[in-house]
Amino acid sequence: MSAFRDRFNRLRGQSASTETAAEQTTGAAEIDERELSAATPDQDETDSDRGGRLDASASASESEQTHTSMSLPADVLEIVPEWEPHGVRLARNESGEFLLKETRYPVSYQHGIHAFSEWGEASSSLAAFHGIEEVMGAGSHADEETTARLAGEEVLFLDLETTGLGAGAGNVPFMLGIAYFENGEYVVRQSLIRHPAEERAMLADLKERLPRFRYLVTYNGRTFDWPVMQSRFIMNGFGSRVWEPLHLDFLHPSRSIWRNTLVSCKLSYVEEERLGVFREDDLPGSEAPGRYFAYLADGDPQPLLDVFKHNEIDMLSLAALAIRFGHLLGGRIGEAFPIPTEPEELVRTGLWLERMGRHDSALPLLELVRTSERGTPAVWNRLAERDKRLGDWACATALWEKAADAAEQASGMLNWDAHVELSMYFEHRAKDIHQALHYGRTALELALSHPLSGKADSKRRKEIDALKHRIDRLLRKAGR
Amino acid sequence: MNRWTGRADDLDDWLEQLKHEPELMDNVTHWHTIPPREARTSPLPYDLDSKLKAALQDRGVNELYVHQAKAYQAVREGRHVVAVTPTASGKTMCYNLPVLQSLLENDDGRALYMFPTKALAQDQVAELQKLADIMEVDIKTHTYDGDTPPTVRTAIRNAGHIVVTNPDMLHSAILPHHTKWVKLFENIRYIVIDELHAYRGVFGSHVANVIRRLKRICKFYGSSPQFICASATIDNPREHAERLIGEQVTLVDDNGAPMGEKHFIFYNPPVVNQQLGIRRSSVLETRKLAGMLLRQGVQTIVFARSRVRVELLLTYLQELIKDKVNDKTIRGYRGGYLPKLRREIERGLRSGEIRGVVSTNALELGIDIGQLQACVLNGYPGTVASTWQQSGRAGRRQTSSVTFMVASSNPLDQYIIQNPEYFFNRPPERALIHPDNLLILIDHVKCAAYELPFEMGEKFGSETLEDMLEFLVEEKVLHRTGNRWYWMEQSFPAHGISLRSAAQENFIIIDMSEGSRVLGEVDRFSAPTLIHDEAIYIHEGVQYQVEKLDYHEKKAYVRQVDVDYYTDANMAVELKVLHADKERISGEIVRTYGEVTVNAKATIFKKIKLRTHENIGSGPIHLPEEELHTSGYWFSFSEEAAAGKGTNEMQCALLGLANVLVHIAPVYLMCDPLDIRVVPQVKAVHTQRPTIYFYDRYPGGIGLSERLFDVHDELLERAHKMIRNCTCLSGCPACVGPIEEVGLLGKTQALQLLEEAGAGR
Repeated sequence: MSAFRDRFNRLRGQSASTETAAEQTTGAAEIDERELSAATPDQDETDSDRGGRLDASASASESEQTHTSMSLPADVLEIVPEWEPHGVRLARNESGEFLLKETRYPVSYQHGIHAFSEWGEASSSLAAFHGIEEVMGAGSHADEETTARLAGEEVLFLDLETTGLGAGAGNVPFMLGIAYFENGEYVVRQSLIRHPAEERAMLADLKERLPRFRYLVTYNGRTFDWPVMQSRFIMNGFGSRVWEPLHLDFLHPSRSIWRNTLVSCKLSYVEEERLGVFREDDLPGSEAPGRYFAYLADGDPQPLLDVFKHNEIDMLSLAALAIRFGHLLGGRIGEAFPIPTEPEELVRTGLWLERMGRHDSALPLLELVRTSERGTPAVWNRLAERDKRLGDWACATALWEKAADAAEQASGMLNWDAHVELSMYFEHRAKDIHQALHYGRTALELALSHPLSGKADSKRRKEIDALKHRIDRLLRKAGR
Repeated sequence: MNRWTGRADDLDDWLEQLKHEPELMDNVTHWHTIPPREARTSPLPYDLDSKLKAALQDRGVNELYVHQAKAYQAVREGRHVVAVTPTASGKTMCYNLPVLQSLLENDDGRALYMFPTKALAQDQVAELQKLADIMEVDIKTHTYDGDTPPTVRTAIRNAGHIVVTNPDMLHSAILPHHTKWVKLFENIRYIVIDELHAYRGVFGSHVANVIRRLKRICKFYGSSPQFICASATIDNPREHAERLIGEQVTLVDDNGAPMGEKHFIFYNPPVVNQQLGIRRSSVLETRKLAGMLLRQGVQTIVFARSRVRVELLLTYLQELIKDKVNDKTIRGYRGGYLPKLRREIERGLRSGEIRGVVSTNALELGIDIGQLQACVLNGYPGTVASTWQQSGRAGRRQTSSVTFMVASSNPLDQYIIQNPEYFFNRPPERALIHPDNLLILIDHVKCAAYELPFEMGEKFGSETLEDMLEFLVEEKVLHRTGNRWYWMEQSFPAHGISLRSAAQENFIIIDMSEGSRVLGEVDRFSAPTLIHDEAIYIHEGVQYQVEKLDYHEKKAYVRQVDVDYYTDANMAVELKVLHADKERISGEIVRTYGEVTVNAKATIFKKIKLRTHENIGSGPIHLPEEELHTSGYWFSFSEEAAAGKGTNEMQCALLGLANVLVHIAPVYLMCDPLDIRVVPQVKAVHTQRPTIYFYDRYPGGIGLSERLFDVHDELLERAHKMIRNCTCLSGCPACVGPIEEVGLLGKTQALQLLEEAGAGR
């Protein structure tokens, strides 16, 4: 062993000193600085992302309400002295042992602006995420209202804390958070493995619970949490088809709606900006693996307490977000939560509802956009694009004209999309070459109103070329 | 001959004319004619599926060449196979036939094909798809590489019968995500490894470890696939295959494919200065011969050893056709061209639209460019194997073909050109790998642990696995629980490990002439000598000057220039012995094999005038020193042998000897000439004696020096013979080096030293 280590260290030591030599000749200070500056932005992001803006309201509301833990039958749960003060006990099954913490929230619990009591009503609308055939089986065509209902207790919420990134075979979920509504309570069940060999027992426990659920709710679970779980089931010999749920990954609708109105669509931003949830002393998710490695080294539970808490709040926010989307699909916007004030969010919400087949809820929102005083060319163009697709040319042209006026009046804003649309409309639909030419020329003026600079404007150059081309063609047509 | 145009009717006619041109024939040192070979065939196997039989017959295949039939038989008997056959002998059939047969018998079966490059993989898919289409069966073949769009990846993972990929993709995408490939790994029957000879040296050592990981994953899913390998002719195909895949293999090397008459012509440029032993430039002679062929309308491939030479020759040859309408008929081809451009050139060669191509050994591999008629080698390609490979690019089954080998003045070229029997009678080189190189091995142990926890008693390479695992536990990379070791780190180990070279990343070259665009790339080791500040970098025949090399960002900014010179850089090397492992004495020479540290630094560059190749200036290079810990072999002369030589004389003798050795050493190794380096020292720190060092240019070594240690006696004997038999008076570039370098007495001193030491008697 020591001979091996010596040899390896020689090789490695040499290569390490190569780097040092390289640094010395070119200035070590420079490199350090570079590394630091590369690392800092991430740090900043995670800090402000997770713990930057704290508020006491979450903890306040939590302390007002009671929750009970450790409610499982005592025969499967043993006391582990160092974990006992933290509400964590040892679970055992045929595959082995792992740690377990269970926390039950009464439905009266208020997490941010939503209370869990809203789940019953909200959940029934979530079936809209999946086609009727997918939910009811092939051949079903019964009307949506009566059949495509989702029972609130069929939904499993899932969130993992893992040792690394990505869904590669070496990324191990050391903490598995699941949650569900049961007998008027929201049950958060967090498993922790004391070492990687306990994973099998933790998975066996989950597997046993899965059959009673039909739906899976996650945040970014389509690309992360669920593929990781599938991989873990395979790695541990449970096969590749343990459970095939109808998956509701709320990251995607969140992006559809808040892409341009929130700084980021991470759950921590969404919950703070839209669900009224403020975390206190939250552990940045990126630090969770480090905490686990520290725990592996000495077995002291302390570093993991923050991870338990972080994961638990994730589970609560996931439920609150599901409630929010349930209300949205159920047409309770403006009742259960306020109508968005930003036209950008309003139009995106309306268009999303349309895509989900909720036309009646969507139309009033889109009407608000049409009459909004605070709209921007981008917002009107987005809505006009929808009108154009539906063949509603009157509405579309009205919006384009608004957008075109706004773009012409605003200084410093380069947007001639509406002009191009109008030029096309007048050329091909209204057959008014004169008007088409007018809008084409105005578009070109706008495009040229700012000096072009280098490579950054290569896209604008292309558009300018296309506009010139368009004007030439229109002139030829007009001359005929 | 056509009396109006002066063109020969065909290649045979032209070669006949050539024999009557004394000007050229004076330089031909050897004209070797390989008679045409008849096909030797076997009937189609009796157990072949009728659909497959019909498809083959549909494509005009009514019987198999004997090697194809033997490979089929061996695979059907359940053995691992390595098939060794020359270029264009239908070797793909050796593996496609048994694989397709097996898939027709069992639709659930899967096969994994591995090719060293993406281009080869794409050819293969087209070929297989064609056969499947003729059979009208649903056998899906897909490439899975960096270019595969994410949208179809899932489909390939689940439904592809034959997945065609490369070792890098296997290493960084498939194996670390094996749980997405359950269907493949549960049902995998065959693993096909083509171009086996390409997996040697550092790359081969990495790939051997990737295969260890692959077998481990297959075992996890309960499968134990058969390996079918195909290789170009090398000295040790069976040994190489067995080391690479870690299994016993059956060798199939009985080539039954027909071949038209083949002329192999050794061409030595005329001596222009007898005193200095200087010959005309091989580049200019290559231009002449290739030009003659191209003007005759013969589709010709020219191989050159370096990128710079490729670009030089391309420039020269394009001048020949400048007045013609289409200047796209003569093209360059080398690493550093972007894939799209390469595909376009390959297509042009197949269709015949491109009449001439100048390439580095990038085209040596089995990329499908059709069969050309003539091949001109600018310099000996460095190995016997590679020479046959390159020459095989010209050669059709029915008509004749010709290969010219134009010798450069370096000693290895001169040795080969003056000893043709050596080339034609000698088995090609051995492919060497060292999969247990500690640095390489430990990298793959990490990757393997990421893919699947290690269990007590498992084997991975020849090192004691448990020691390595415990070491990684201490490094906080693995976590041990009971008898298992788990990956316990945030990173994704495969991302930090490149199979292709010690350098983890290439340097990219950015052309700033107009906006900025990526021109190409070079590996880290080549960067200090190829793209230092002020270097002239030639790409597609166009000259660029490096304005700035950003060493840390690994970027070189270049701008197009038009100058009449190119640049050539020097490296200064310092060497220390760390540890001696083996020692032997023969005559007055003590030789040792062990571990060394090497410090290398690029020092200056020279500007060399185009065409005349005279030195017209120089400049310094300011780049950091590189340090390398590797294995080496060195020998030192006894005091008796050294007696009577002053420091200066010894300096000349050693330098002269080193110059000879560095050129003939590759004869024993199958490696890039740059993979093994030589350093002479008059009074070495370690031995206190006159010493010549060899070292592997890779951390930890890859077995090259060790092999040289073993063949030491023969090596020195050859060196002695070569210096003695050289016709120059007192040293020339073809033996000990030019007088400017080794002095007037360099040749004599080197010979004396060898004789005193008892070498070569």
